[in-house]
Parts: sequence; C-alpha cells; structure tokens
Amino acid sequence: MAKQIGADRLGDFYKEGSRVRKRREWRGLRDTLYDYSRWLWIMMTLAKFVAKPRNVKAMFRYRWMANYLAVPMMVDRHTQGLRGEYLRICHTEQDLVIKDVANLLDALFRGDRRIGNDKKFSDQVVLVDENEMTAVMMGFPNLKVLSRETPSTYVSVLLNQRAACHYIDVAQQFGLAGDVCPMPEAEAGVSIDDDAPILGACAIQCNTTCDGSLLGNGVISQRLEHENGIPVFQLAAPLRHREDDVQDYAAQEIRNAIAFVEKHTGHKWDWDAYFECAKRVNYATKCRMEWLEMNRTPYPQVFGSNLALYTETNYMAICGRIAAFEKADAKITKLARQAYDKKMMMAKEYRHRAIVWGVQSHFYMDFLLWLLNCWGIVPLTDMLSMVSTKELVTEDTPENREQAIYDMAWLTENMIMRNRTHGGYKVLLDELWEFVEMFNADMVILWEHMSCKALDGMHGLFEEKAREKGIPLVWVSHDLFDPRIISRQGVRDQINSFMRTVMQEEPIDPSLEILPDDMSW
Amino acid sequence: MATFLLVLKIIAIVIVVFFALTFTVYIFNLDMKLTAAIEPILLKHYDKIDRDQHL
Repeated sequence: MAKQIGADRLGDFYKEGSRVRKRREWRGLRDTLYDYSRWLWIMMTLAKFVAKPRNVKAMFRYRWMANYLAVPMMVDRHTQGLRGEYLRICHTEQDLVIKDVANLLDALFRGDRRIGNDKKFSDQVVLVDENEMTAVMMGFPNLKVLSRETPSTYVSVLLNQRAACHYIDVAQQFGLAGDVCPMPEAEAGVSIDDDAPILGACAIQCNTTCDGSLLGNGVISQRLEHENGIPVFQLAAPLRHREDDVQDYAAQEIRNAIAFVEKHTGHKWDWDAYFECAKRVNYATKCRMEWLEMNRTPYPQVFGSNLALYTETNYMAICGRIAAFEKADAKITKLARQAYDKKMMMAKEYRHRAIVWGVQSHFYMDFLLWLLNCWGIVPLTDMLSMVSTKELVTEDTPENREQAIYDMAWLTENMIMRNRTHGGYKVLLDELWEFVEMFNADMVILWEHMSCKALDGMHGLFEEKAREKGIPLVWVSHDLFDPRIISRQGVRDQINSFMRTVMQEEPIDPSLEILPDDMSW
Repeated sequence: MATFLLVLKIIAIVIVVFFALTFTVYIFNLDMKLTAAIEPILLKHYDKIDRDQHL
C-alpha cells in the first residue's frame, strides 16, 4: 500500500479459486483518486450502455456478452503496479478502446435482425473481419464499418481468458480441425453456434494470415451469403507483400473491393474523407515512431501492453477513421515526453531489455506487465507493434489518387501479424535481429503459438541465429485463445525456469512467480 | 441565504456519501465480486436458448 513504484507485492492481491482479486491497489492518494475516477467513468459508460433496452436484450441473447461483466478487471490487469504518467497513458488508451467497443456493440445490436432490427441503419453497415485492415473503408465516411468478431471473440478473450473455449468446442463438434489457430476457429464457432448478430448491406473478408483464417471465413461467409442474404467480398491480398511484382494485383483487389461496396450500399467513394484519414494514419505513425525512438534509450516510456494493445486497435481497426484516436495519440505522446524528461521508470528495477517476438497469447495479454514486475524484463517492443511506418500520400491530386490505391493495398498486405508471419524470411527472422540491435536489447522472448504453422517452421532458425548472436532467447509456448492447453501459470513457468536456471536470477517480486489465477477472468 | 446554505449542505452530504460508497466498492473490488456471482447464472441461461447450430 504505497505511492512508490514496486512497493506492493502484487501477487498478494490474488485469491485461490477466485475469478477476481481481493481488492484494488492503493497507489498513493493522487494516483488512487485518478484510478478511481477512471473506474467511475467505466461504470458510467457501462450504465449508459445497459440503459438501452436493446442492449439488455442482447446481453441475454449472446453468450459472449457475459464476458463484458469483466471490463473493469481487464483494466485492473493492465494497470498493475503502474503509477504517474504510465497509469495515465494506460487509462487514456483503455478509456478510448472501451468507448469504441461500447459504440461498436451498440451499433451491432441496433442493426441486428434479432435485436434492434433497424433496417435503414443496417443498410449502411459494411461488416469486416476482426483481423483485417479497414483501410479500404477510409473513403466511405457515411457508412458504418462494423466487425462482429471483434466483440464476440477478440475483445472477449482479453476480458475473460476462457471466453473462446465454448466456441472452439462447438467448431470441433462440427468436425473442424482442432490443430488450426483457435482464433479463427472460435470465430467460426460463433457462427456455427448461431451466436453472431445478423446485419449489414454487405461484408468484406480478408485472407488474413493462415489456413485457419481461410477455414473460418469459409464457414462464416457460407451463413452470411446463403442464409442471411448478405453478399461477401473476399479481399485476397498477396502474402509475399515485399515483392514489387505483387503490388499491381494488390491494388486491383482494393479497386474491386471499393466497387463492391459502392454497388451494394449505393455510397460513392469520397476522396476528401480518404485523405483526411490518411493524415491521421500518418500522425499515428509519427507518434508510434517517437515512442519507439524513446524505447531505444535507457528510458523507454510507451512499451509492454501500453504499446501492444493500443497499436493493434489504432493501426488496424481504426486506420485513421476515428478522430478521437488522433487526440489520444497526442496525449500519450505528451505524457511520454514528460516521463522521459523526468527519466521515469515503470518499475523499480530494469534488469533486461527484451524484444518480444511471435504471436502473443491473447488470453494473457497482461503478461508483458508481469515480465516487468516479476523479473525486471522490459518488453521494449513486440512483433505485432512493428507494423508499417510508410507515409501515405495526403494531397488530393490525380497522381496521388492512384498512389492512394497502392497505399491502401500496402496497408492491407501489412496488417498486424500478417506483415511478419508472411512475406518471407526477412520480415520474420532477419528483422528481429535488426530490432535487437536497434533497441540495444539483451534478450528475446519468443512466443511459440503452437497452432501457428507460419511461425513453427522457423523454430530452429531462430535458435541458430540467437546462438550466433549470443543473445539469450526463451521460447514461451501457448495456444493463443485456449488456456486449457497451456495455462497462464504454464506460460509463466517457462519464463520462471529460464530466469532461474539459465540466467541464475531471483525475481524482483517473488509473490508474482506463482499465481492462483487459473479460475480468474 | 439560509435556504442556499441548506442546499449547499445537502449537496455536500450527497457528494460525501456518494464518494464513500463508491470508493468502498472500488477499493474492495465489490463490483467485480458481484459480477463474478452473476456470471454462472447467465451461462446457465445461455445453455437454455434454442439455437440453429450448423456449419
């Protein structure tokens, strides 16, 4: 119970067999009151959401809505041990993400044929995948771009580690393979379980990253097109995105997608809106680059889940379309600069500077904060945050309109995860070691998502290179959405064993080494 | 003037009581303890809903 960073034994907040923690942290008067004010704001947001009868109706219809009971706890997990600017950065991000998801849910249920059944509204909706760049919608300001998978699976697993288990089981009961990525499998499971809202004038699916993703899209589009009568466009972006000879094809796919949306919604592409969004994308990139630049110094500021979660949302799902994110970018950058000038640290001791690579376990997103609090390992950046830094054209000229098509194609090819797990040896393997050098890292944490075939094939090559470079590398196996395969403690044990045996170190906060959080949300 | 002071006093009492109550809920995590108790009831309800399950 103290103002100082690292004064609490954070493991003592957990209780065996409980979904929730014993109590919230006392962070000193100022930070506790700030955290309390943000908690009140979340409560008001949730109260406003449930004040609409259709949202209550949806709560009793869709199984995945039960996970939203855990919203405040998700925020607590990501603010563990944080003080000062770091706490404010985290809340700035979480507040915005919560508001955005609440708006998304509200819109989904408004148009949903089972719940709000607002046909006029539904006709303005274009459905997109969760794991898809929304760049192709930057020029349709009057259409609603909604993802059903984001709230039903992606956010649900952030809220509750077991959120996807039911849907994974449903998919496998219907004969879908059990060895594909559990993320698209769970998304397919939601569709099979008849648990997805039905709305929209049309939908765009993307050949995101893998066999599982293609499998999931097939199952979902079958129901959308043939039962719900919602036409689906398959945006097939090239996988070898660094090759020049695929770019013309990629650009043509964007033109086709735009023509498809225009045909099914009656809305015309708006270049003014597109270039406005492009400016915001450039600003977000500029801010992210400044944060990464700080992370190269001894005083990193925006890192761990503060970097990872926000980048995933802002880069891919928002893609310049929502102005509020530009304000948040500016606020986070201001806070980071303040902390950097004061040479502040997020934890009481930094022992190692790590690059986190591979696809992280979604059911344990706050693991990055655990690394820092338990072992003093600073996750400087992660694979999913190392996305495109290319500047988009923003001036409306005939040449730039043509270039803009290629920019959208580039963004779509370089969506999060896809830009590293596909595209060849260089983007996945070589660039990791370039980042290790660039960030002056002395350790690599390598997620091994056991169902991700794109990454598993490179196991030996990573180890060979780590030995050659003399960089300690630790593998952390997990199954992305399914904590029944490897639990959160199973994830932690892999680091604990490595740190004790290979690095011969003792934890900074021993209370965090083993946590009774198997039953926790 | 007396009425004005009375109104101020009532507002102050309401604010203090609101703060005391909500801060107690916040610090002892009572909101999450309550929702953890609600979740199993909701899950049982979802199991009872008729669904058109198919590929």
